[in-house]
Amino acid sequence: MELSHRFVVPAALDVAWAAFNDPEGIAPCFPGATLTSVDGDTFTGSVKIKLGPISMLYNGTGRFVERDEAAHRAVIEAKGKDKRGNGTAGATVVAQLTPDGTGTAVEVSTDLSITGKPAQFGRGVIQDVSDKLLGQFVECIAQKLGPDSAVEPVEEAGAALAPEPDSAVSTSVAAAAGAAADQSMPEHESAEASSAGRHTGPTAEPAELNLLSTVLPVLARRYALPVAVVIVVVVVVWIWVKR
Amino acid sequence: MIPVAFDYQSPSSIEEALALLTEAGDEGKIMAGGQSLIPVLKLRLAAPEMVIDLGKIDSLRGISEDGDALVIGAMTPHHEVAGNPLVAQHAALIAKATQTVADPQVRHRGTFGGALVHADPAGDLPAPALALDAGFVIVGPGGSRTVPASDFFVDLFTTAVGEDEILTQVRIPKKTGWGTDYQKFTRVKQQWSIVGVAAAIRVEDGKIAEARIGLTNMGSVPIRATTVEQALVGCALEEGAIAQATASAGDGTNPPSDINGDADYRRHLASVLTKRAVLAAGAA
Repeated sequence: MELSHRFVVPAALDVAWAAFNDPEGIAPCFPGATLTSVDGDTFTGSVKIKLGPISMLYNGTGRFVERDEAAHRAVIEAKGKDKRGNGTAGATVVAQLTPDGTGTAVEVSTDLSITGKPAQFGRGVIQDVSDKLLGQFVECIAQKLGPDSAVEPVEEAGAALAPEPDSAVSTSVAAAAGAAADQSMPEHESAEASSAGRHTGPTAEPAELNLLSTVLPVLARRYALPVAVVIVVVVVVWIWVKR
Repeated sequence: MIPVAFDYQSPSSIEEALALLTEAGDEGKIMAGGQSLIPVLKLRLAAPEMVIDLGKIDSLRGISEDGDALVIGAMTPHHEVAGNPLVAQHAALIAKATQTVADPQVRHRGTFGGALVHADPAGDLPAPALALDAGFVIVGPGGSRTVPASDFFVDLFTTAVGEDEILTQVRIPKKTGWGTDYQKFTRVKQQWSIVGVAAAIRVEDGKIAEARIGLTNMGSVPIRATTVEQALVGCALEEGAIAQATASAGDGTNPPSDINGDADYRRHLASVLTKRAVLAAGAA
């Protein structure tokens, strides 16, 4: 399954490139993600995601198979395995950064494969969920990269929980995704996501479940990965919906 | 598949249930009828350490009147809601939508509150609850609060009910004498709604005086078609006028595209089904 996303962050190309190559800086932006180690081009981590009755903890590793500084292009492979052996998930993510006005456009294409019991899914819900999680991720990134520039806080219902306000960036993402959806959704998502994030501290608790393991680590690094993870989640949701 | 092992608790009071939920923290999961949770556990999409079954808390079941509101206990099974005379009289829309939920077995085990908290975007109860401005009574360690339907549905499978809270009852403002209908569009019986439309109208002198339209599966959460509601006011109960007023039902929505139909198809369905629902509500 292939998925693609594009968004613009309010930072110069070099700044954005550096940020995307800093797993420690990026990981906390993905809801529920924890980076456990980084060793050169390889990293490991986990992502915990809660969505209604579904609660998942993915553990996995990721690797930069290509990191082209000149072209600002990176390719990451990530894979994970469900702790309980129910399946595996893998993703290849290609991220391409290009200048876009005063900011940087990020294009991410993800090729996701999932095996095991939950291998039956469609794309609709996946796209939907991945867009939402990605939206949060991008808002967070935008905050880090350009706290004063393009980020304009909008009404923020879940301020206590959600550090990342709606931003101009997220708006463009939403537009790109064709999401005319109502405004309150991303906010609530953020709140939910950051609470999920809190649960995932390093000391964190016992995994709840896992289905496919994954791609998570990946997400740490690039946003691409997050997308992949999201996708996995979405898949799960989808399966569940279609049960 | 066999679920991951979990501790099963069946408290006999809300207080006990809240205490267990607090004790279990992140690892606790409330079970109402279990018609969605059990499959999720079996697929191992969730593995809570503790499942807290509310089935033995009698105070969570039942349907009663409280002034201008109809009060439905969260643990009231669908089949009770669907056949209850008070619901038929004051919130017929709820009864009609409930009758379309899944199959008889599920309607005997599944609960009204459970389905709402589950908040499946294709579920049939959220849209009617939203259309009728239901109030959701939620209790937690900090006490009780009532959340309006417009704030209750937060996202896919996500509601205003916090991790340490329980939905206890749903208060539905009475719509006695209103015409109602729920149109559920599926390809095969007992499928999830591809699109659903809940309509409730109040007719005066042969014209629509008030209208409530809720859409199922046209987004991550149920949607009120407010433009259509306004356009319907003053409409005579005849097809031409209603078709015109309901034509925009899908406008501005962002429904999913999937094997059952793409977003444009769903938007088209929304307007067609809204017309049918309003006509049927007018004839009711």
